[in-house]
Parts: sequence; structure tokens; C-alpha cells
Amino acid sequence: MTNLLKIRISRLFYEDKELLKDINLDIQKGERILIVGETGTGKSSLLNSLNLLNHSYEGEIFFKDKLITDYEPQTLRSHITMVMQEPWLGEGSVAKILNEARGFHSFKKRGIGDQTQRRKQLFKDFNLSEDMLKKTADQLSGGEKQRIALIRALLLEPEILLLDEISSALDQYTSGIISDSIFNNFPGTVIAISHDPLWQDRWQRSWKLSGGKLIDQREV
Amino acid sequence: MDFAYLGLALSLLLLVIPLIIFRHLKVKLTKQLLISFGRMIVQLSLVGLWLSFLFESKYAWLTFLWVLVMIFNAVLILRGRIKFQRKILTPIFLTSILVSTVIIMPWIIFVAVRPEPFFSASFIIPVYGMVLGNSMNGMALALERFESNLSGNWKAYTTRLSLGASLWEAALPAFRQALQASLLPQLLNIAAMGIVSLPGMMSGQILGGTSPIVAIKYQMMLMSAVFSAVTLTDYIAIRLYLRRRFDRFYLPKK
Repeated sequence: MTNLLKIRISRLFYEDKELLKDINLDIQKGERILIVGETGTGKSSLLNSLNLLNHSYEGEIFFKDKLITDYEPQTLRSHITMVMQEPWLGEGSVAKILNEARGFHSFKKRGIGDQTQRRKQLFKDFNLSEDMLKKTADQLSGGEKQRIALIRALLLEPEILLLDEISSALDQYTSGIISDSIFNNFPGTVIAISHDPLWQDRWQRSWKLSGGKLIDQREV
Repeated sequence: MDFAYLGLALSLLLLVIPLIIFRHLKVKLTKQLLISFGRMIVQLSLVGLWLSFLFESKYAWLTFLWVLVMIFNAVLILRGRIKFQRKILTPIFLTSILVSTVIIMPWIIFVAVRPEPFFSASFIIPVYGMVLGNSMNGMALALERFESNLSGNWKAYTTRLSLGASLWEAALPAFRQALQASLLPQLLNIAAMGIVSLPGMMSGQILGGTSPIVAIKYQMMLMSAVFSAVTLTDYIAIRLYLRRRFDRFYLPKK
């Protein structure tokens, strides 16, 4: 079986500082991976490298056996999508926010049809009412914003979801809803940075970053 | 209608009023006033002498040369005015000014107005001066707005990238805002023309004895040329800036 993602990084930098060395990782479809480590160990730089938002590294990353740098950036990013801490949603109604990426050429090219049913299902999974579609971003709470950002990313039907501390500003209850919905409904690969103890025991695999090294552990 | 040099000197005497007020309030503008008016007198005198020479000469290449000097000056002023990304901006200023000039001016000269002769300096120099001056200001404003919209809102930009936007798609909202910021004041100004103030060129022509009917025709022609040139210059400048500002992964170049 071929690997969905293959990471061969000899050195990873943040600006001029070397953060990580000798990373050799193979990732399969549907894996759930948690990245842990103290601040400044390179968690975000590593995550950002996977969808071309960082290229300060020496080495190669392959998505479906093709170098990620050989993809058109927008094509790669619509398959490997990131959700950030304190998401930016934009102006206008939630419905409009969720639709923005549908207008991008990379999305149209993929021929994904009507998503009304899928959106309905996602709202249900994430415990949100569809009345929210008419609201604007500034009328939403932090937890609601983060869930809308996740729904927006999931509507792209990505193969890999990158999550950068998405629950750090949320209460335990909301954080629980979010992790449940991702685990129960998203069939693809998830790679997440999180400090949330609630998330710690749900992962099949973890990458612990410490002292310039990455320790790859699988849960048994 | 001409008037005496003594009359000019008497009108400069009016500056005693601001000077007294500055002194009274201890506003530190006296030195600047003297510098500003001094520069104006020297610069305009030189330009006046030079233009009267240019208008009387019959050499088209001299007019053309002067247009190049005007462009060169505009680029120098822009270089001094814009405080970011200086290294990449000079070719952008030059290209956008040249392209919009080459599109707008031939239309005005050869198709619309058809002055006699075509390369009449007394037509080209003032018209192109207005077109260039406005393009220069518009472009500076548009580029400043575009950069501040982008860098003041990186999260919006990187979020769009993360959702599969192309460079163009991720930068388009900032592009739109920059164009609006640069063009809306001009459109408002055009809408107020005639009822709030008489535009500079028109006042000059009327004072110089041209009939108001001819003067308004010139004014309307001029505003069409100016506004189209500003829009075109802004558009080209931002598109070029976009290409030089970002790398092939759409991330800002270091």
C-alpha cells in the first residue's frame, strides 16, 4: 500500500534557527496523529510545511508519491487543508463565509457538486443550528466560530486535515463536541497540534517533539 | 489677459497676513512658508521659461524628451514617497506609467482631440502633466492601501490560501479595496466639478481668454483621460507588485 504522505526532512528551520533533524515519517489514509511538544520545538513549522505554508526545510515531502512542491499550491492546499487557532472567518453571513472557497478555481476544478445535504449533516454533527447561516461572524462565540471554520474546511472534502491548536481557546464542553465530531465523521487523515488533555487519549499515533528530535509513537 | 509684474509682487505681499498670524500664535510655519514659496517662484519661473521655449520650437523630439523627463521625475518622487518594498518597486512604477501612457495618450492625441500639429507641446505637456500627476498620486495611494490591507490582515490571506485559493484569489479582496480607496475620491471630485469649484485647467484657460464652452470641452476630455489613466496605472502596478511580492507558493518573499 502506498503512503498518503511521506515526510523526509533532514533539517527544519524557523527563520535561521534549526528546530528539528532527521524526520522520517510515513502516514496512511485515515490515521489520527497528535503532535505534542513545548513551545518553540517546531510543531507549527512542521505542520505548515505539509501544506506549503512553510518551506524553510531541507528534504522532501511527498503527497501520493509526488513531491508537494510539484503540485500547484492551491490544488495541494485544497487536499491538505489547515484550520488555525482563533480562525479568521471574514465578512458577511455564515452562509457566505462557508461558500467563499467554493468560488475558488481549485474547488470548481474538482467537480464537487451540491453540498447542501453535506452541510446540513455537518451542522448536525457539530451540534449547531442551521439558523446560524444568517448570522455574521461577529455574532458568534469563540466555539461557534471554530466549528464554522472546521465545517468550512470539511466542505472542501480534504484528504488530510491539519489542526493547529484549534481547541486551546475553548472550554472543555465545546472542545469535546469538536473532537467527537471530527473523530466520528471525518474519514480522512487528521494531524493535530493540541495541548488539550481531552484529546490526548483519542489518537492512534503521536509525534513528540523534544530537543530537536521527533519521537514517533503508536498507541496500542 | 496678461498683468504686470508689479501686480504679481503685490499679490505676493498678501503673504504678510499668514506671516503675522504665524508670529502671533508662534506657529512654526514661517520658515516652511518662505521655503515653499521660494521654491515655487524658482521652479515655476524656470518651467515658464523652458515651456515658452518649448512651445515656440517646432521640434517634436524635444516635446518627447520633456515627457521622458516628466516620467523620470514622477518615478523619483514615487521612490521617495513609498516606504516599503523599495527594492522591487522602481521597475513597477516605470512599467505601469509607461504602459498606461502608451494606451491613453495616443487615443487622446491621434483619435480624440487631433491638435495641430499632433506633437504640439502646448497641448501635450499640460494634458500629460495632469494625466501623469494624477496617475502618480493614485498609484502611490493604491499600492500603500494594497500593502496595508494585506499585511494588516495576514490571517485572512493565509486562511484563503489554506482553503485552496490561488495567489490572485487570496489577494483579490485587498486589491478591490485598494482600487476603491484610490478611485473613489477622484470620482467624488469629478461629480462636484463645476458646482463647487472650477477645475484648475479650466480656470487657467478662461483667465487666458478661451471661451468657457471650449474650456469645458477640454476639461471633460481631460477628466476622462486622467481617470482612465489612473485606473489603468493602479491596476498594472498592483498586478506587477503581486507577482514580485510573493514566491511560487504564494508566500511573501523574504
